[in-house]
Amino acid sequence: MASILFLVIATIGLATALGTVLSRNLVRAGLYLVAFFFAVACLFVLLEAEFLAAIQVLVYIGAVAILLMFGIMLTRDTMGDDTTAIPVGWMVPGLFGGLCVFAVLVVGINNSIAPSGWSPWEGTSSRPSIVKEEAEPGWVAERREAVNDMGRVIGVELMTRYVVPFEVAGLLLTAALVGAIALAHREDPDPKPPRSANRAAGPGAGDGPSTEAEEPVASSVSS
Amino acid sequence: MNNDIPLNWFLYFAAASFAIGLVGVLLRRNAIAVLMAIEIILNAANVNLVAFWRYGTPAPGSGPLPGVILAILVITVAAAEVAVGIGLILLCYRRWRVADVDRYDTMSG
Amino acid sequence: MIPDEVWRSAVVPVANLQLVELNLQTWIRWALWLAVGFAGIFPGIVAYMVWLERKVAARFQDRIGPNRVGPLGLLQPIADAIKLITKENIVPRSADRIVHLLAPILVLVSAFLVMAVVPFAVGLVPVDLPSGLVYLIAVSSLSPLGIFLAGWSSRNKYSLLGAMRAVAQLVSYEVPQVLATIPVALWAGSLSLVTIFDRQLEFGWNVFSPPGFLAFATFLIAGVAEVNRTPFDLPEAESEIIAGYHTEYTGMRFGLFFLAEYLSVFGVSCVATVLFLGGGTPIPFLEFPVDLLGDSTASLIVVNLILLSVFLLKVLGFIFLMFWIRATLPRMRVDRLMNFAWKYLVPLSILNVFFAAIWYEMVIRPGGLTFGNWLRGTLVTGVLVAAAVYLTFLLNRKLAEAKPLDADWPSVAPATEAAR
Repeated sequence: MASILFLVIATIGLATALGTVLSRNLVRAGLYLVAFFFAVACLFVLLEAEFLAAIQVLVYIGAVAILLMFGIMLTRDTMGDDTTAIPVGWMVPGLFGGLCVFAVLVVGINNSIAPSGWSPWEGTSSRPSIVKEEAEPGWVAERREAVNDMGRVIGVELMTRYVVPFEVAGLLLTAALVGAIALAHREDPDPKPPRSANRAAGPGAGDGPSTEAEEPVASSVSS
Repeated sequence: MNNDIPLNWFLYFAAASFAIGLVGVLLRRNAIAVLMAIEIILNAANVNLVAFWRYGTPAPGSGPLPGVILAILVITVAAAEVAVGIGLILLCYRRWRVADVDRYDTMSG
Repeated sequence: MIPDEVWRSAVVPVANLQLVELNLQTWIRWALWLAVGFAGIFPGIVAYMVWLERKVAARFQDRIGPNRVGPLGLLQPIADAIKLITKENIVPRSADRIVHLLAPILVLVSAFLVMAVVPFAVGLVPVDLPSGLVYLIAVSSLSPLGIFLAGWSSRNKYSLLGAMRAVAQLVSYEVPQVLATIPVALWAGSLSLVTIFDRQLEFGWNVFSPPGFLAFATFLIAGVAEVNRTPFDLPEAESEIIAGYHTEYTGMRFGLFFLAEYLSVFGVSCVATVLFLGGGTPIPFLEFPVDLLGDSTASLIVVNLILLSVFLLKVLGFIFLMFWIRATLPRMRVDRLMNFAWKYLVPLSILNVFFAAIWYEMVIRPGGLTFGNWLRGTLVTGVLVAAAVYLTFLLNRKLAEAKPLDADWPSVAPATEAAR
């Protein structure tokens, strides 16, 4: 049952990833990417981390995808279909290269042996059970609690064991926020004279559409 | 779960997505399309992290959720990266009037 | 009749959020929810919300409203639905057809998914997720994407502009909406809506505490902005850029947007009721009627009937409030709207989290609710909340005096002088 579900979701995921990479129309590529994000969120649910799935949908589909759409909108040549396709001569070598990378990774997955000499991962065919039993290793109880109430346990972990990465991530986000706004901000070439003395300049002096275009980008960035 | 999904399948999916994303990064000419392919790569890495977290035994002293926390940090960094990336692409677009990475080829000017 | 064990297991135990077994009983439950609830009851409620809105708006405007079709105009929604279905679906020739159809579907799916975690009564919750609040936020962040796609795929400058403004508004008001739910999660100790409901049985409704009241007000204002209702209906009002992002939508596609908007109004009202008003309990600080819950099916039915009817009454109250606000207030200008979100609501919500922590330490950590604790907590946090609100408005006024908001509209002041 779970295997069939996984096969369906994985097929959808790979098909949409291919669609993102091969699609000529950028907005279609963006939509395929949204579907890929959703497939990955479904995989997280299959792996019993549904808090992470919600975060994936929230951050990637709710913010990153919208940001990419705004980026597509602000960097197009004409109002129409964006057709920046892959150059035809590169298609076959590119796909061949991709297949080679995939083959290397598959060989690595199948024949990997950990440095301590464990059996290959291929032997891990089912996940460690977290159902309550009498004789269980110590970590199973912790993991069961983590899977059952993941939000709370993530909060505890982020505040105790992983507090330094958490704070650094906060710093990174602040820097990215300020940096993105600073990058995209359109500077005024010279300070304007006071508006009320300059009625001939007209409302906004031609800055209307661009400031409105900046504002949604800035707000999407800061969300 | 009894009839379970082997770990390998998750790893194959992640490897395939990684390969597709890599092909996208190398082949696409539009800067935003390259960003999208980078997002595919990051998501593949996340699937890997969470799959190994669920199927492996934790190292002592690392807590119950190392894989998930790492995945959250990767999501955070990816979001910040896309924000800054879009800002940079907008700047390049203003300078060269086109969002084509083949045209972004001088370091000055 | 539904056998006893199905009723029995419908009562989800609170602290035992184990993995749901995918057996036949679960499938039957979900199929019933989908068929009866999501495909039947919710669209029916939405259709009659439209009727109610027209009647309420009419009474506010001193007229009668629809009264021709059926007694009291009660068949009007059916007539509207038939009209929308039989209208011609005009799609602009250069529009992207698939995306044009996908956009309202995305918004509608987002609205439906919000209803999937709301506990209507004990055991009457479609899915009880352990991370329900984050799921709600995630799902309500799908609608800005749908709206942007609607504006984009119409190949219409005005639609695109309307869609950009809509996305800016929706994305901005998501932040205070999410921050306003943090106190609730803090006090309940969990993100599951069923646990939040249960905690309010012990500690009183979340709205009866100063930080909870501020969070409730913020959530409601941000919720009204999130569903594009007046005074925040800039994206879709007929006099703003033609009709904003749904200019090029006719017939049933417009009907989908319409359905999605009213369904999200219902969804936001349900979520606000559960999070802040103890969803379904009639009396704030008592456990009635949940303490009547015995072992028999009859007690379960009685308790659920009481809870469900009180829940629907509260949701109706919120919906009426939104209709009332629509009939009364004018529309906000886009820059004032963004200003209000980022400079007023966001700082207040962030400070509110701090006050919520103070309330938690004073009232909830001791264990049970005692009157002395509650009084002390109310006094301390009440003073803090009032001070925070006053300071926010004061500082913003100082800021506005330094740089007036109307500085970009030079023709306003000199025109009035010339007219004198």
